[in-house]
Amino acid sequence: MPDIKTPTTRWTLNGQEVENTSGMTILEAASEHGVEIPCFCYHPGLSIAGNCRICMVESNRSPKPVISCSERIADGLEIETESEVAVDARNSVMEFQLINHPLDCPVCDKSGECVLQDHSYSHGPDRSRFIEDKNIRHTKELGPTISIWGNRCIVCTRCTRFCDEISGTSELCIVERGDRSVVDVFPGIPIDNQLAGNTVDICPVGALISHDFKFEARVWNMERKDSICGGCSRGCNIEVETLDGFVKRLMPRENQDVNDWWMCDEGRYGWRHLYSDDRVLEARGPSGPLDSSRSITAFIEILDNSPRVAFLIDPFLTCEELHLVHALAASSSDSLVGGWLPEQGAAAEFPAGFKISADKHPNRNGAEQVFGHQVFGEDASHLQRALDDGSIETIVAFCGGPDPDGPGQEWSAALVKASTRILFSVLEGNWLDGAALVFPATAPLEKEGTWVSEDDRLQRTRSCWKPGETPFPGELVLLQSLQSALGTRSRSLSAAGIFRELSEVCAPFAGHNHSDIGSSGLLLSDRPAGVGAGGGA
Amino acid sequence: MANQEDAKEQELERTTSTTEPRQNAKFAVPVAKGLINTLKHIFRNEPNTIHYPEERRTPYPGYRGEHRLKRDELGREKCTACFLCATACPAFCIEIIAEEAPWDDREKRPRLFNIDMMRCIYCGMCEEACPCDAIELTPVYNIPSLTRAEKIYNKEKLLSL
Repeated sequence: MPDIKTPTTRWTLNGQEVENTSGMTILEAASEHGVEIPCFCYHPGLSIAGNCRICMVESNRSPKPVISCSERIADGLEIETESEVAVDARNSVMEFQLINHPLDCPVCDKSGECVLQDHSYSHGPDRSRFIEDKNIRHTKELGPTISIWGNRCIVCTRCTRFCDEISGTSELCIVERGDRSVVDVFPGIPIDNQLAGNTVDICPVGALISHDFKFEARVWNMERKDSICGGCSRGCNIEVETLDGFVKRLMPRENQDVNDWWMCDEGRYGWRHLYSDDRVLEARGPSGPLDSSRSITAFIEILDNSPRVAFLIDPFLTCEELHLVHALAASSSDSLVGGWLPEQGAAAEFPAGFKISADKHPNRNGAEQVFGHQVFGEDASHLQRALDDGSIETIVAFCGGPDPDGPGQEWSAALVKASTRILFSVLEGNWLDGAALVFPATAPLEKEGTWVSEDDRLQRTRSCWKPGETPFPGELVLLQSLQSALGTRSRSLSAAGIFRELSEVCAPFAGHNHSDIGSSGLLLSDRPAGVGAGGGA
Repeated sequence: MANQEDAKEQELERTTSTTEPRQNAKFAVPVAKGLINTLKHIFRNEPNTIHYPEERRTPYPGYRGEHRLKRDELGREKCTACFLCATACPAFCIEIIAEEAPWDDREKRPRLFNIDMMRCIYCGMCEEACPCDAIELTPVYNIPSLTRAEKIYNKEKLLSL
């Protein structure tokens, strides 16, 4: 970093002289000093509209209060956020906002995370002086996933600005004038862009409602867990919201290095297969279901009786699980490891820089770091040739993806040539027919561990299961029990413990550990000082 | 040192002593009054107990007994499945699953509304929290049942009460 001093501005906030980087808005600068100014239309990821007027503050440079979201700080500026003028302005705006807003909170899905509700609690009047009839505006579907409750809309234009600036599709617009104005789409052009779900997230009130989450849960009852989207190799940071252990919705989590504040609809709605009736939920052999100890005994029996074992990994496994597979493959002599990749999807890039990757899997990079860069290339074709030759009798294959076809037609046909197949699968499918052992696999949101995104960013994904409520042992637990039974592991570890083992033996991960990854992840090359790429810490 | 210990002992004796004559005199009058009251009731011929279950006591207004869900003037449940009762419930005995209402004037209604009457502590917080005046605690207090399953009241049962 060149040592250039950023220009700063000295100004006065609530009687205290403070200093901020020049060019900031009053709202942003005040929040740096712990003074939160309420806002509806302001969103850090969107352009400034300045139409909700709730952020008004008193200024020494203006006879009337100014809106803090668009006014910038200047030397000698004196701002009062809690003076009589400012509070009065705020309360009056709040009263106007509530004139036509229905008292829908008990049935509104936004209730509990609604900005209007929060501000009404802190600034709103406790009764309405409005005796005229309230305006009725339309309630309709705007697209396949989104509906609008026009009565609740406060016309902050966050959603229309999102469609103009972030997705660049401009489906939404404001129709009518004055207090009748409301968000709408043009006739015959529904909002169906790949980022449409974000408009629901940024809506400060419950005007835009996602069909997927409508009436599903009250937000204050849900538990939240930071995780990573497994839909593509971008690795968008998400928050998994669960009710009684069941996923109810996924929300994007801010990470300026990856996904800003957004996520795509494919990832957002791509979790329904977790609760599919076709899920493999227990281990089974040819004669029927097996409990965990018998399934491990059967696994070991097969490994002991096989002269040559091959492993087919998938890019959904976490680095920790891959490390365990690697250790298992290394313990048997003459083993082969290859990997399969799901079909490429459509990549997309949006005007504001948000990207969707064509690789519809989360951890190709991680697998290449653990097994070498040819694991999905030459190693895979080598494995396929060996299967075709019939020189492999036993194969262990993983499929953590949402596709019931498993690793796809080509690989399924190749796998059949191995006489003994041990398959891990999320969903039931034809490729599991005739397998010696079938194990339930964890889907992306159920895994605990790390993934490496396409930008070589190491990020932690967390399981949506509560500890102790696991319906079946995931790969992380099962592979460790297998190692214990084989005598190569003395005690079972958590994902963090396995990662420590991985960082000791695998150079690209050297010097990293779970606690350093934090909530926003880090680049594999960002090593702590003193740790080279060549060896462990 | 010795002086200090003596002072402590004296203090202890003073505070724990019950033999002060003035203190006892203070107690005598209320105790006598109480005894007179007891004697009066012995000779009064009115039993304070009732022959339950043949006789039933009428609870005072505001008594909190068995719950019921109310209906509106068209006979539909008033409840809009807002979950405020379940949120207010300190015993976590209310389970609700919402669904879309088939009526024009309302968006939401409960598909499932279960109250675990064995877990309920009859505090009335649900009634207090309800914005639609849809749930109520009735004065019915004798609600025995033979199985545990019967004590979990579903929506139909709560509406029929």
